[in-house]
Amino acid sequence: MEKRSIFLVVVVLVAALLICGCTQSEVAATEPPQTLRIATTTSLYDTGLLDALTPAFEQEHNAVVQIVSAGTGKALEYGQRGDVDILMVHDRARENTFLEEGYGINRRVFAYNYFVIVGPESDPAGIRGLQPEEAFTTLREKGIEGTEGVVFVSRGDDSGTHGKEKAIWQSAGYEYAADVQQSGEYYIEAGSGMGATLVMANEKQAYTLSDIGTYLAYQGDLTIVPVVDEGDILLNIYSVMEINPAMHPGVNTSIAQDWINYMVSDDVQQQIAEFGVESYGRPLFNAAAGKADTLGIPAEECATPLA
Amino acid sequence: MIEIAGISKQFGVKEVLREVNATVQEGEIFAIIGPSGSGKSTLLRIINLLEQPTGGRVLFDGTDIHAAADQSLALRRSMGMVFQKPVVFSTTVFENVAAGLRIRGMSKAAIRERVEAVLEVIGLADRAEQGARTLSGGEMQRVAIARVLVTDPALLLMDEPTANLDPLSTETIEDLIRTINREYGTTLLIATHDLLQGQRLADRMGVMIDGTFAQVGLPHEIFSAPRTRGVARFVGMENIIRGRISACEQGLATVDAGGRQVMAPTPLLVGESVSLCIRPEDVTLFLPGTEAGSARNVFGGTVQAIKALGPFRHVGVECGFSLAALATWKAVEELGLHAGSEVQVAFKASAVHVVRDEER
Amino acid sequence: MNEIIQAFFQAIELIITLDPSVMEITLRSLIISFSATLIATVIAIPLGFLIQIHEFYGKKMVINLVQTLYALPTVIVGLFVFVFISRAGPFGFLRLLFTPTAMIIAQTILILPIMTGLTISALTGVDPTIRDTIRSLGANTRQYLGLLVREARFAIIAAIMLGFSRAISEVGAAIMIGGNTQTSAFWTSTRVLTTAISLETSMGNIEFSMALGIILLSIALVVNLVMMRVQQR
Repeated sequence: MEKRSIFLVVVVLVAALLICGCTQSEVAATEPPQTLRIATTTSLYDTGLLDALTPAFEQEHNAVVQIVSAGTGKALEYGQRGDVDILMVHDRARENTFLEEGYGINRRVFAYNYFVIVGPESDPAGIRGLQPEEAFTTLREKGIEGTEGVVFVSRGDDSGTHGKEKAIWQSAGYEYAADVQQSGEYYIEAGSGMGATLVMANEKQAYTLSDIGTYLAYQGDLTIVPVVDEGDILLNIYSVMEINPAMHPGVNTSIAQDWINYMVSDDVQQQIAEFGVESYGRPLFNAAAGKADTLGIPAEECATPLA
Repeated sequence: MIEIAGISKQFGVKEVLREVNATVQEGEIFAIIGPSGSGKSTLLRIINLLEQPTGGRVLFDGTDIHAAADQSLALRRSMGMVFQKPVVFSTTVFENVAAGLRIRGMSKAAIRERVEAVLEVIGLADRAEQGARTLSGGEMQRVAIARVLVTDPALLLMDEPTANLDPLSTETIEDLIRTINREYGTTLLIATHDLLQGQRLADRMGVMIDGTFAQVGLPHEIFSAPRTRGVARFVGMENIIRGRISACEQGLATVDAGGRQVMAPTPLLVGESVSLCIRPEDVTLFLPGTEAGSARNVFGGTVQAIKALGPFRHVGVECGFSLAALATWKAVEELGLHAGSEVQVAFKASAVHVVRDEER
Repeated sequence: MNEIIQAFFQAIELIITLDPSVMEITLRSLIISFSATLIATVIAIPLGFLIQIHEFYGKKMVINLVQTLYALPTVIVGLFVFVFISRAGPFGFLRLLFTPTAMIIAQTILILPIMTGLTISALTGVDPTIRDTIRSLGANTRQYLGLLVREARFAIIAAIMLGFSRAISEVGAAIMIGGNTQTSAFWTSTRVLTTAISLETSMGNIEFSMALGIILLSIALVVNLVMMRVQQR
């Protein structure tokens, strides 16, 4: 009896395998699609922007886009090892290093938005409306004092957002490793993506730093609200770049360049500017085209197609 | 059919068999009897090619079985072995019995025919499709016998086939063994520690003690005339008395034993160390001062202990050496014997079996 | 509490309406783990045989090692496979990272020790007298091994089942090697039950996680039931 049931399971699985194999090979029979591997910061993925943009590209270029969602740090690591073709990240300083070391080329800025400090409606730390540096300083002081309800959840995953958080701490005059990390029970390192960190902050009714896009995408499930959303330092710039084929000959440079040009194309720039309006009442991102001055970046890097 | 010539076997430093010699005739039942651990199983395993001997040869119809590597499979397929532990494959009774035939690549129809016939013989025809693991120990052993029987072996090796079974199953298996030998003319080599089983089944037997045959012969020879002290002890000789031949005249020797002069027939010469084997039932008891009959050996002694033994009394007497006598309870009562009584023991010279001492 | 019950019913709904993404993830999980189990079976059973039936120097140590690796942490396997197949690694040219193939490799490595070890135990569990009987019946080497497998079949099937259970329920290696990606093509994606549950839960998508969780539990339950039936024999 059990022989028969095992046999049945085997048959079903083999059949499933065959079916998948067949559907695969049918596509393959016309022309094998290229795979474009993208390592992206979680904020782009968690908002659903990339899911919205990929189908048109896949159709146009007969490609399958595979997105590995990781923090900027991990994404850069994948890029450095040559495990992906494209990086989509938001940490200018580390991108610069990455480019200087020769791992990446053809960086283009395609979108931007702002970071916000979100926290409980009641704002137990009393930071609403402060400048980001002042807000962090206050959070740290009250946190160390042990003020009821003052908790800060950090991404703690070496991502672009985490990089921005460190930049704010530095700008506020603190040495991140020495003065902030493990400075008290109020400071929690999540080690997760943006979405997961927002969910965690919400569970703990804590403060956290988030890009506005992901925050808006998750707003429906959250009770925490933006408390600080103004300050030059909160600017969040998204870039796309390809992995240098000279460093990793295996990378698919032609489809990668197609993707970069796709991201800066007028159509997509338009879509980025409108993405989220329908669901959240306001766009999650701003298109980068023509905003070189606002962003303080070279014009040729700003949503300009590759030569 | 089988000639065992100088077989020895060592496992590491342990010597299990040494210089084993024997011949098994075609069509006979040969029993290897001996106490547990005497090397019986190892000898059978060597014959079945499950072990390599350290020295010596086994000839099977003239072929040295361990030298003919290319023939070993064919040789093994011409014999069968039944092990002490009744084991069956975890399939049906039918498939168990069919296993050997499947190995030999026989056709399905032929297998069915043969297996059904053999199942009839072992009386499990109606259980053919039953899971063999659900059988009793005795039934499993019958399946194990059928499994080899069905392959029509020229030689059937059985290693303690009934040691793990109850008396009733043992009887069934013994009947089966006799049937196999009679109906199929199969030569059987059976290892058993059960002396009486050997006697019941065997045409000839070999007594294996400490890894070698101490004696090979007909069962009655072994019982009546054990050749060594060890065999004597194994076949149940109760009185084994050490001594030395002090005089010898026309085959009748005088043996010094515990300061007494015992008369016994032997071809051995003066000066030999010997053991005297005397069956307790051959010893008679008299009160001191009464006529002790015609027996050549009459000694005075003291009763040590009296034990009940069915309708008999087992009387231990110290008369220079320890001697056990068997008497009816009535006789013991009439003589008024009790522990400490003075008594005379008597036995005929012909009741004494003299064995040369080979042990230290 | 209400929320949980609601999520539970939504999860049930996702399952009975055969939600395409739930089905796709489930099917992919099954195929990946089934393939890994198949490959591991092909390797582990002969390997178990080789180790068990041969006497060699250090055999005890080998068996000890295999048994120690039963508890091989999935993330260690993930790390190990990652450094080998990442583009910068020795097998980087195969471009295996973030593919189901790589996940199959990782799961195969993960379950090899337990399947090999249990095969060894299964064979060790066969009564020595049974082995003697098989040889004594005149079996050649092939027939001997065949009959030995037949005797140990229930224990070997249990080993395979256990391997499959471990493969389908592991998450560490799957997420490190697969990357939990979802694409438009079935076989380019690497999202499986465990990684999807991990991701969706962290993103607050409880009903979806719960649906996948129920399916994963059901698979484990079916495997266990089959195993119990087998072992009762």
